[in-house]
Amino acid sequence: MNNESSNELVVNPAPHIHGSMTKDRMMQFTFIAILAVTIVSAALWSQVTTPSGWNLGLTVAVGTLIAVGLAVAIDFLIGKVTSDSEVNTWSAAVFGLIVINCFSLGYPSMAVFEGTPLEAGLPVEAPLAFYYIALITIIGMVVFKKVASIAGRKLVNPAAAAKFLVLIPTLFTTLITSWHLTSGMLMVPSLAGPIGNPADAAATAGNGGASFGAYLQGCYGLTATESVESIMVLSKYHGWIGGASSIAVIIAGVVLFAVGRKYFKWKITASYLIAMAATSLIFSFIFGDVDLTTRLLFSLFAGSSIFLAFFMATDPATTPFNGTGQIIFGVGLAILTISIQTFMGFFGGSMLALLIMNLLVPVIDKIRINKPFGR
Amino acid sequence: MANLVHIPEVKDLARKTPIEIFPDPKIAVVLTNQQGGATNTPTVKIGDTVTIGEKIADAKERVSAPIHSPISGTVIKIENAYNSCFEAPTEAIYIENDNKKTKAKPLTCITEAELANTKNEDLLKIIREAGIIGLGGAGFPTSIKLAVPADKKIEHLLVNGAEGEPYDTADERIMIERTANLVRGVRVVRKLLGNPKVIIVTKESKVEAVPKLEEAFSKEPNTEVRAAHLTYQQGDAAMMQKAILGYETPAGKRSYEMGTIVQNVATINAIANAVFEGEPLISRVTTLNGDVPKPKNLQVKIGTPVKDILSANDVNLSTLSSVVVGGVLMGTALQTLDAPITKRTSSIICFAKDKVKNTKTTACIHCGRCVSACPVRLQPVAIHNAVVKGDFELAGKLWANDCIACGTCSYVCPVRLPLSHNVKMAKQ
Repeated sequence: MNNESSNELVVNPAPHIHGSMTKDRMMQFTFIAILAVTIVSAALWSQVTTPSGWNLGLTVAVGTLIAVGLAVAIDFLIGKVTSDSEVNTWSAAVFGLIVINCFSLGYPSMAVFEGTPLEAGLPVEAPLAFYYIALITIIGMVVFKKVASIAGRKLVNPAAAAKFLVLIPTLFTTLITSWHLTSGMLMVPSLAGPIGNPADAAATAGNGGASFGAYLQGCYGLTATESVESIMVLSKYHGWIGGASSIAVIIAGVVLFAVGRKYFKWKITASYLIAMAATSLIFSFIFGDVDLTTRLLFSLFAGSSIFLAFFMATDPATTPFNGTGQIIFGVGLAILTISIQTFMGFFGGSMLALLIMNLLVPVIDKIRINKPFGR
Repeated sequence: MANLVHIPEVKDLARKTPIEIFPDPKIAVVLTNQQGGATNTPTVKIGDTVTIGEKIADAKERVSAPIHSPISGTVIKIENAYNSCFEAPTEAIYIENDNKKTKAKPLTCITEAELANTKNEDLLKIIREAGIIGLGGAGFPTSIKLAVPADKKIEHLLVNGAEGEPYDTADERIMIERTANLVRGVRVVRKLLGNPKVIIVTKESKVEAVPKLEEAFSKEPNTEVRAAHLTYQQGDAAMMQKAILGYETPAGKRSYEMGTIVQNVATINAIANAVFEGEPLISRVTTLNGDVPKPKNLQVKIGTPVKDILSANDVNLSTLSSVVVGGVLMGTALQTLDAPITKRTSSIICFAKDKVKNTKTTACIHCGRCVSACPVRLQPVAIHNAVVKGDFELAGKLWANDCIACGTCSYVCPVRLPLSHNVKMAKQ
């Protein structure tokens, strides 16, 4: 037997064992879940080829490689250069996947812009899209992830903040739809009025000159055999890559929450979706919609709020740490999102709402309803 | 709403191993202070000859528990030795074994028939003189804990046989092998507390102990054996009261003020030995577990150096990364293997170098898992952040003092922050 000298023993404070969940493992689980969503999106969109000759599925694949590769490389480089920065390969890879999934690439929805002066302003087709993806990845990694982490903690969702920053020049020309309404350039109806199914043109008369249903039909390339419902839930060809199939996002997200148990903030997703549904139903009554499903489906599944709900609104660093706070966050995010979409006519409302709610997290974290044991 | 985290147990081998008597040490290192309460001073000096069970350190104050010699022999030195109870070196009496096993006169004790007619104060005196403290780890003198004010009616005695620490099986073996002794120990405590309802609380997973307890206690009045599904955290006295009796003890109130006393099985075993056999607390059952050739339970003399136990059990000291005493979640990592067994050493857990997982700490990712895991509903990360900033006032406002030091927050933390440690710092 060896004579053990005392300083060879590792003396750590209690506890001396740890659970199996680590940050890397959380990130690996998240990566797999989002990768699954990305693959489904690429597969669905591979059926479409844009006028520039790029297949949308291929565009998604190349964009994913660019975003993930750049994110991991930047993380590695910054880790090399600065001493007080940790190398978080998995975290960077997840960030890259979120960037690609929240990139608006949809087609043929954006075909409505063709022939208008707005066409050039929207990063819709490859290869232009790749530059935007790269720019968002670089700004997000450097400014909102690395610099923010070194300075203290991340205040806002890096992918959302970077996308917002990069797209600011185009926001007011292409995305603020109320502006188009007044100028009459786009057939986008306002949500601040009655909306209904395509057959109910009369009910939406005076609403930007187009019924909401007609708008959806235009956006999503609805054919006579496809219902709005199936487009919303199963597959659609507009907006965010991550929003291509709502059902794929829901399955991947629920599996992630089930596998990651209590390490993922599912309460945000649940409260957000419930509050989205409740708020849109209330708005339906207020505006006197012809049917209750159109606005509800739009709120829950149009665009990418479903991807945001599962994979962006649950980002650990930029959301509240206690359960009550997470519910407040989810409900606040929902009300804010619908309000922005309805009253500002800004369809990227969920993204803006997320950034606002992120900034409120330090305040929400101070709220506590659950008193300690015996208090 | 209870936040409970299941922590996998590593008990299968040790729990099936009968208690083995470990040989007396050649040199016993008996720490003069192993208890909560007043400080003991040695009552012997260098060169004195001592016998087994002879009192060698004591204090005049009421809240105290004396120390007895575990072996017969000579006091060779009195100097500081590492004390795992306080994680620092404290005074110790070194006794060289003369191998004569000379026994001191037993303490005043009674027969079982005399129990009904013995005054409570006499029973408490025996318990005090035997040096009995809470063997579950708290270390508070038992004679004080059981001296409940006359105007307080005790409704429940919870006998804590949960043994939540995931590597510990000493209490479980006591429940299996010393059931009859526990029955008479419980009779003593029940008498002291004015005949409360007795609930023997254990886990359903202790499949060998449960039927033994049920059989042994079946004829006892107003006594129930409750084999519950309890998590690690529910081994804590306050948590156990909530799990079994359904109430939360208000912060700042002592358990007896709610009409309940929770007493660990190992302590009850020691009480029976003292009251009916006149044996002071000079040995205890401890679990040897972790990366050892053969996990087992040992009846070992207080003052036996840990190194002796490891060497005798073929533990390769050169491959050890750390040795933890008193449980992997709440216990102490030893600074030296010369550290002796104390009254509070419920287990010795070895971790081998090649099995140590990476416990590198990285920045908090704000996942909130510690918040949802805290059984007393604190916000460990918020307290941790306050302590890191040096803002102890804020830590206090976040109820850092309510922490039960169970370690669950650190256990679940995906970036391995020393949350539990820092909350403990805030308490101090």
